[in-house]
Amino acid sequence: MFLYLNGMSRGKMKIKLTWKIWLLIIVLALSLISIVNFSGLFEKGLLITSVESNSTAFEQGLRQGQIIIGIDGKPTETLEDFTEIIQEKFPAEENIKTTIKTKESEIILYSDEAPQIIVSEISKTKIKTGLDLAGGSRALVQAQDKKLSAKEVEDLISITDNRFNVYGITDINIRSVSDLTGNHFMSVEIAGATPKDLEKLISEQGKFEAKIGNETVFIGGERDIASVCRNDATCAGIENCQQSSDGNYYCRFRFTIYLSEDAARKHAEITDRLEINATNPEYLSEKLDLYLDDVLVDSLFIGKDLKGQVTTQIQISGSGSGETRNHAYEEAEESMHKLQTILITGSLPYKLEIVKLDTISPILGKEFIKTIFLAGAAALLAVSIIIFLRYKKFKSSVALLITSMSEIVIILGVASFIKWNLDLPSIAGILATIGTGIDQQIIVLDEAKQSLFLSIKQRMKRAFAIILGAYFTSLVALFPLMWAGAGLLKGFAITTIIGITTGVLITRPAFTDMIKKIEKD
Amino acid sequence: MESETEQRKKHWHDKYYKLFLLVPLVLLLFSLIYMGIFYSKNNDFIYKDISLTGGTSVTLYGQIDKLDLEQTLSEKLEDISTREIYDLITREQIAVIVETKTESGEAEKILEEYLGYELDEDNSSFEFTGSALSESFYRQLLIAILFAFLFMAIVIFIIFRTAIPSAAVIISAFADILMTLVLVNFLGIKLSSAGIVAFLMLIGYSVDTDILLTTRILKRHEGSINQRIFGAFKTGITMVLTSLVAIILALIIVKSFSIILTQIFTILAIGLSFDILNTWITNVSILKWYVERKNEN
Repeated sequence: MFLYLNGMSRGKMKIKLTWKIWLLIIVLALSLISIVNFSGLFEKGLLITSVESNSTAFEQGLRQGQIIIGIDGKPTETLEDFTEIIQEKFPAEENIKTTIKTKESEIILYSDEAPQIIVSEISKTKIKTGLDLAGGSRALVQAQDKKLSAKEVEDLISITDNRFNVYGITDINIRSVSDLTGNHFMSVEIAGATPKDLEKLISEQGKFEAKIGNETVFIGGERDIASVCRNDATCAGIENCQQSSDGNYYCRFRFTIYLSEDAARKHAEITDRLEINATNPEYLSEKLDLYLDDVLVDSLFIGKDLKGQVTTQIQISGSGSGETRNHAYEEAEESMHKLQTILITGSLPYKLEIVKLDTISPILGKEFIKTIFLAGAAALLAVSIIIFLRYKKFKSSVALLITSMSEIVIILGVASFIKWNLDLPSIAGILATIGTGIDQQIIVLDEAKQSLFLSIKQRMKRAFAIILGAYFTSLVALFPLMWAGAGLLKGFAITTIIGITTGVLITRPAFTDMIKKIEKD
Repeated sequence: MESETEQRKKHWHDKYYKLFLLVPLVLLLFSLIYMGIFYSKNNDFIYKDISLTGGTSVTLYGQIDKLDLEQTLSEKLEDISTREIYDLITREQIAVIVETKTESGEAEKILEEYLGYELDEDNSSFEFTGSALSESFYRQLLIAILFAFLFMAIVIFIIFRTAIPSAAVIISAFADILMTLVLVNFLGIKLSSAGIVAFLMLIGYSVDTDILLTTRILKRHEGSINQRIFGAFKTGITMVLTSLVAIILALIIVKSFSIILTQIFTILAIGLSFDILNTWITNVSILKWYVERKNEN
């Protein structure tokens, strides 16, 4: 395609472009291809970025990645459309009908609350912004009082990943990061809305133990627990809510779990040794105590019929409290959900500590990007004016401006190609690159003016010697930053390295050729 | 006429260039003493913000009385400091940033109590860093700067392969960083991790003009040394001035909005200003002295 373009343009244009300038044009085109989200350009609708897994929306088939084109017959093209429709309808007094039209199908919901989905407008670009701009949460986790090895962090990651999946959060990025001093961390990043229990989900060891007296009957995890009842009102749910004498409300939850054969047999052995409770003859003398991370969360009476019985079915219960009934209900629901997750996934191998936790609201992101663009544009404009005043050459100044802009496009192109999330440090890096880039172009411009007895080619060669020197000093200065600080500032190093390397390999050579042409004219 | 002014310039520069060296030398000495006293007082090279000491930074969106918040909560939130973010054009307050050493969960409770509403991701952002981690971040960033400087020095030696001119470049870069550090401390700026990265950027920026100067003087032979210095000066000063104008403009625009970028741009602006002094007095004088000594022998 480019060869064809090449031939076409050559035929039409008077000035022959050198291969270096062609290289710049090709790389620019490739960068644009990598930046622009072509399918998003023509698509109308809203993208579902997440669906709460226990919600009616999920049950009826709404999934992450689907595109909503209308609700109740009204088109949803912008986020405002969506919020307007939803706010008008919910919260409702009773279950009402909502028809959600996606690209593939039509889904009908009956509910008194808004569909538990998060949508976003379809992006026109493939540039990904980091959490500090797009909003979301990020946690760095370490073991308490223990230095984790790379292998241990990997194990930790697989358990945590599983835990999030069971909990119903799938849009999550968990990976291992290390720093200059050889510390390994687990980094957890969630784009968009932050789950309420994030902190607990990540850092709670989740060591579940059911004990009778001092003896452990079973623990959380697949060894002892064959299955856990969830999302089924017949065997899991909130039982009752009551106001207690202190004015607070308490709600009890209950769900059934199914023990493995071994755990059931152990249960039989231990209960067999128990007496009938003297004061309460319906039950056995000891209770089944449930511990979560060594804290007693509930004590259950054991019915006398269970004595010595190999039973696989056990009721787990607990409670939530709050100032209002709703609060208590929600808390009981959350505790149940968490306990179910922990019983399924088992405990984490270490006690963990969150050493860094950021939850960033997406509110300011857009405004922020606008401000940065404004700052960048103002700076570039000022630079062009100075260059024009200094050299009084319109063409050269325009060439400089074009080169700097194409550098930004190429950095963004490479960044979206390698799927790098642009965060604040990355943007600082881009600014730094443009700054040094302009400096180097000034060197080229000045060398072109100098020592007229040398050929322009030789003069450009000289400019390049200086530029290469500056390039290598900047490059080596950036390397330590790739690893320092658990990679939180890596973005700066990445974009700067992409930028200055592009500069030396592509934009600067093209710029020198442009200047050569302009000087010759 | 051009050559006449050149002539005159040459004249005074030849006469006084060694004397000029006194200016950066005195400044450098002063900076070293200042930093010595600073270090013994604070047991550190900089004032650190909570990204380096550990603590919580909370951004509260909406119109919030910053002063009242700070006064009311100064007892409850350890080392509280607040800042406003406002819209560039309307000057309307968008958010207040509260920084404290108090751990994030506790800070959230205290703030919720003060504000009277629950904080969630629609009205706030939280950034918490544990103190042990920040401590280790800080150490690593210092190591990163040290290595960056070291690597830069090695590359400079490889490029020029002569001791004194290379040393002159490295001394200028060092002086840039040191003097900037002194002014930043003097202004009482609390540095964040991004601020430290700005120092790293400074290494790259400051070396650019020094490489230009040294290459023009050592590797070129046309024209007198003064003509070469003056030629390099014209190029170099254009470079620094364009960078400075761009940075200051950007600084004005982002100032109301991003603390991180504001800090980076402030440090760069200070550093580039010192770079004018250190490239065109420190480095030029050492280099000229070196070339003249070499020519005498």
